[in-house]
Amino acid sequence: MDNLIVENIKQRPLRTAISVVGVALGVILIVLMVGLARGMVRDSAERQGNVDAEIRFLPTEISSAAAANPLMMPARFAEVIMNGVQPTAEDPDLQAKPPIAGVSATTPVGEFIQNSESGIGFEYVDGIDFPSFSKTTRITMVAGRPLTDGKAPDSAYEVIVDRYYFDNNKDVNRQPLQLGSKIKTLGHEFSVVGVYEPSMLARIKMPLHTMQQLLGGAENCTFIMIRTTQPALAKSVKEALESNYPGYHAYLTSEIPALFSQGIRPLEIFLDVVIWLAVVISTLVILLAMYTTIIERTREIGILKSLGASKTFVVMTIEKEAALISALGVLFGFVVSVVGKYALEASTRLKIDIEPRWVLIATVVGIGCGLLGALYPALRAANLDVVEAISYE
Amino acid sequence: MKPVLETRDLQMIYHVGKVDVPALRGVNISVGAGEYVAIMGPSGCGKSTLLHVIGGMLQPTTGRVEIDGEDLTTMTDAQRTDLRRRKIGFVFQRFNLFPTLSAEGNLKLAERIYSNSKNGGDAARRHEVLKLLKLENKMKHKPLELSGGEQQRVAIARAIVNRPAILLADEPTGNLDSENSTIVLEMLRGLNKEFGQTIVMITHNPEAAALADRIIEMRDGLVVS
Ligand SMILES: Nc1ncnc2c1ncn2[C@@H]1O[C@H](COP(=O)(O)OP(=O)(O)OP(=O)(O)O)[C@@H](O)[C@H]1O
Ligand SMILES: [Mg+2]
Repeated sequence: MDNLIVENIKQRPLRTAISVVGVALGVILIVLMVGLARGMVRDSAERQGNVDAEIRFLPTEISSAAAANPLMMPARFAEVIMNGVQPTAEDPDLQAKPPIAGVSATTPVGEFIQNSESGIGFEYVDGIDFPSFSKTTRITMVAGRPLTDGKAPDSAYEVIVDRYYFDNNKDVNRQPLQLGSKIKTLGHEFSVVGVYEPSMLARIKMPLHTMQQLLGGAENCTFIMIRTTQPALAKSVKEALESNYPGYHAYLTSEIPALFSQGIRPLEIFLDVVIWLAVVISTLVILLAMYTTIIERTREIGILKSLGASKTFVVMTIEKEAALISALGVLFGFVVSVVGKYALEASTRLKIDIEPRWVLIATVVGIGCGLLGALYPALRAANLDVVEAISYE
Repeated sequence: MKPVLETRDLQMIYHVGKVDVPALRGVNISVGAGEYVAIMGPSGCGKSTLLHVIGGMLQPTTGRVEIDGEDLTTMTDAQRTDLRRRKIGFVFQRFNLFPTLSAEGNLKLAERIYSNSKNGGDAARRHEVLKLLKLENKMKHKPLELSGGEQQRVAIARAIVNRPAILLADEPTGNLDSENSTIVLEMLRGLNKEFGQTIVMITHNPEAAALADRIIEMRDGLVVS
């Protein structure tokens, strides 16, 4: 390693430290924010996939109205898919639908996304019809009792939660959860009446009927989960569903985690903003640090040039110094990020995924910005007038 | 004998705002290989300007400078820098060492610039230079741990380790007490004698000038004798 560069870095420990922290900040921003976003998405995605139902059936067009009201699909389709339907005397307009072969159970699910209680990220709530839900999935109650249909006034505001939620959350009075505790969701207080396992879909589940009432009354759901008689039939059931119900799409549950982490637009925009923020911070910090450095070392740069150092040599000397500082910053940033990940995961419900891809991106951003930020000071140094520079006080 | 340095009607006019300051007004000098020349003259007569032009650090207004057969005045800035790297060694009144580097570090950095490569430089050459300048035991010290005379000797070592065609020194003893001045001057003399090093040295000190082969007297931007 070049002595001059190392000595220069040691010469001004405070400035070096500030630059290192500046670059580290960019790295931490990328690694932790991206890690957080992706960790939370993965966590939800896993729970989305963690059901025995092989198929999820939902409207093709998730219109903007769906954002306001996620209940856009008739809940009675669940019944129709199993048993088929014919027009009746009371309802002659009803379209005839055959029962779909190979289906063993169906259940309508309402799914609502809300801002999480902690204010960071988002949280799902499900509305379910417990009897059909338990036939379609492997849900089991490990404490308390199942949900009712929610139609009786005294049982409408009840929820069941998964084990993780039960163990890690507080009730409205900031007390650890117990059966009978009150929690707030969808703007109302609900009693926790049971704990289920395993985690699937949203951690909090209320009667679908209650969700329908709270979101406008229609007898709708967000999607229908379908269990086939044999997993091998999933593809053919999917095709039968799509040909009988134009305007609806059937996803294999196994595809869902992948779909999930792809298409979250606002999240992608957020991550872009985070990366640009990191770029700006790292570049500016290095730019300022190296700029003050070359002002302070004007005479030394003059000496280099008087010895016959080319512009390239001067630029490289400064760029190498910036690269070394950035590399230290990247390293420091990773250490803080890893420590931060474990600290946050231990003390909150946040999930942080540190993925190699993003570690690589953070490294490239950190070092790239260091080089970029140093470029202007380096070019200025290279173009200094040598006689003026060596007589600089 | 072909001169190592030759200037032809060299003029240098500084522009300060709207005022023109003529610093060199037609300088013609010639220095042969192995010569040791002192330049004397009153303050402001253009000695440093001349040295900077010869060293390719300043582009003259008109006139020609040839170093070892290469015409400096037709070169680009990058070419002049490269010529400085290959053929010229500078020694300044203020030593101009890198304060954060040891004497050895200063020397190695210069060698890295000179050789434009990562090889360790010419070990034999370094050895003979350090021996002549009596620096062998001082190489681990940083400039601030050395006396002025020692610092200037390191600067001289740095300037000549690359065997430049010509060594340019601008008042090399200007910051030294008389004892150290004598040592440095003797070493310059020795360099000239033992290695045949061509030297052009600016000085205000008549005793220093007396050690040279020849004295060029300047006045008001002209050589007077
Ligand atoms: N960068 C500059 N801009 C304008 N004028 C300058 C500049 N450098 C030198 N001069 C002027 O040019 C003239 C010659 O200066 P120079 O430094 O060459 O003199 P010198 O003989 O080396 O003097 P000294 O013995 O004091 O070092 C002086 O009048 C000086 O004021
Ligand atoms: Mg001078």
